[in-house]
Amino acid sequence: MIVKDWCMYCGECAGVCPKNLIEVKEITLIFDDKDCKECNTCVKACPISALEKG
Amino acid sequence: MIKTDVLVIGSGPAGSSAAKHAALGGADVILIDKKSEIGAPKRCAEGVSKGGLENLGIKPNPRWVTKELDGVRLVSPNGTNVWMTSDEIKLPEAGYILERKVFDKHMAMDAARAGAEIRVKTLAKGMKKDKDSYIVTCEHMEDLFEIKAKIIIAADGPESRVARWAGLKTATKAKNMESGIQFEMCGVEMEKQDVIEFYFGSVAPGGYAWIFPKGEDIANVGLAVIALDTDKTAYQHLIEFVENCPATQNAQAVELNVGGDPVGGMPKKIYGDNLLVVGDAAGQVNPLTGGGIISGMTGGMHAGIVAAEAIVEEDYSEKKLKQYDKNVREDIGDEIDKYLKVKDYALSLSDEELDSVAKAFQDIEFKKVSTTELVKSLVKVSPKALLKLGKLI
Ligand SMILES: Cc1cc2nc3c(=O)[nH]c(=O)nc-3n(C[C@H](O)[C@H](O)[C@H](O)COP(=O)(O)OP(=O)(O)OC[C@H]3O[C@@H](n4cnc5c(N)ncnc54)[C@H](O)[C@@H]3O)c2cc1C
Ligand code: SF4
Ligand code: SF4
Repeated sequence: MIVKDWCMYCGECAGVCPKNLIEVKEITLIFDDKDCKECNTCVKACPISALEKG
Repeated sequence: MIKTDVLVIGSGPAGSSAAKHAALGGADVILIDKKSEIGAPKRCAEGVSKGGLENLGIKPNPRWVTKELDGVRLVSPNGTNVWMTSDEIKLPEAGYILERKVFDKHMAMDAARAGAEIRVKTLAKGMKKDKDSYIVTCEHMEDLFEIKAKIIIAADGPESRVARWAGLKTATKAKNMESGIQFEMCGVEMEKQDVIEFYFGSVAPGGYAWIFPKGEDIANVGLAVIALDTDKTAYQHLIEFVENCPATQNAQAVELNVGGDPVGGMPKKIYGDNLLVVGDAAGQVNPLTGGGIISGMTGGMHAGIVAAEAIVEEDYSEKKLKQYDKNVREDIGDEIDKYLKVKDYALSLSDEELDSVAKAFQDIEFKKVSTTELVKSLVKVSPKALLKLGKLI
């Protein structure tokens, strides 16, 4: 997952990820990519389109 | 390894309330938050009811109240207005607009004064069960360390990762997550300075748009959408709203806020052995309004009280902690269930139907401003509402 540098670390994507793969630090977003089922739920939820499937 | 009775993860309003009440009950409490500044950035329009704060025993403080409200304006898609202000009706349920950045810090300070130990910029990264306790891995700058607690109170907001580490199903389904976005603006020209405004219909599919005044010409101007209900991003909807709304033609943004708001109600299970879940993490949000400050703090209070009792009794089992679930559902569960139904109904209305409801509302004399009163009136003016919601009132 590509995190754009305008991400605001609000954590909405983490809340909807059905597999709980997204760690939201104060100003870092970390994906546990290996278990990602590429459902795109996180991408769609972001209010400012800060995620892109890599 | 650090040891404590109760570890509260997340120092939003819900976590601070939980930490305060657990500490007041005599427990050793640690309250952690990953942020370097509790309360910032805000992810909120900052509206609360006066009664809600009063029930929590919290006295309004001029350092965090920016505006006392005098009523509500509802605006339908074609611009039909419904005013509910004190010149027309009594306002027992009026509220305040807060300064959340200051409010959240003050709530954490209350917890500290009650005896909780606060650790900022401390992230919970994972946890494992260890006999009758949990061990949480934490990160503070370059230090990784562990905290062992008899009871974990998960107050990590809309992410709700902590409860899921323990196997609870607290993920928010995409159809229940409001994508919120907001500008704090100056130069906002509102028709009435102390009225909160709600805009309904296709301006915000799955949610609504709002203008919440913060005094002088300052206001939170925002909206929330269900991402699945629209092809645009929440941000595009906000830009369009600000371009078209008469009040914001000369307004300037000084802040951009984003965040998720879970509006699907409380998950079935919000407790387990050595674990309680509170606030947004436990869906403690009014599904109709999206308001979660008061309900989250109410959840936090019940969790803190039960956690302290459990520590005294040395019983951290699911059976003991179920008392929290009972208390919180008795207190706010019915309300949440009721507003869930009203929300589903309200979102089923087309722009035209909303316009006709607004028109019919203009001839109604409201006795007070409250969501219940609105639902009662809705049932009066709309046969479809009577069919769907008649049983609720
Ligand atoms: C746009 C928008 C507008 C809103 N408007 C209103 C409104 O007008 N009125 C109202 O009542 N409600 C409103 N809400 C809802 C309200 O903001 C939330 O319900 C409320 O903040 C929930 O409080 P909380 O304590 O549960 O969670 P939060 O306030 O989200 O606090 C959670 C805390 O946990 C911390 N945290 C998360 N994960 C970790 C971790 N792993 N380790 C350490 N710390 C962690 C976070 O940093 C955060 O400080 C709005 C929400 C949005 C998105
Ligand atoms: S929802 Fe968007 S802005 Fe928020 S943390 Fe995720 S990627 Fe960043
Ligand atoms: S694509 Fe789906 S599984 Fe993968 S990180 Fe996003 S929400 Fe989680």
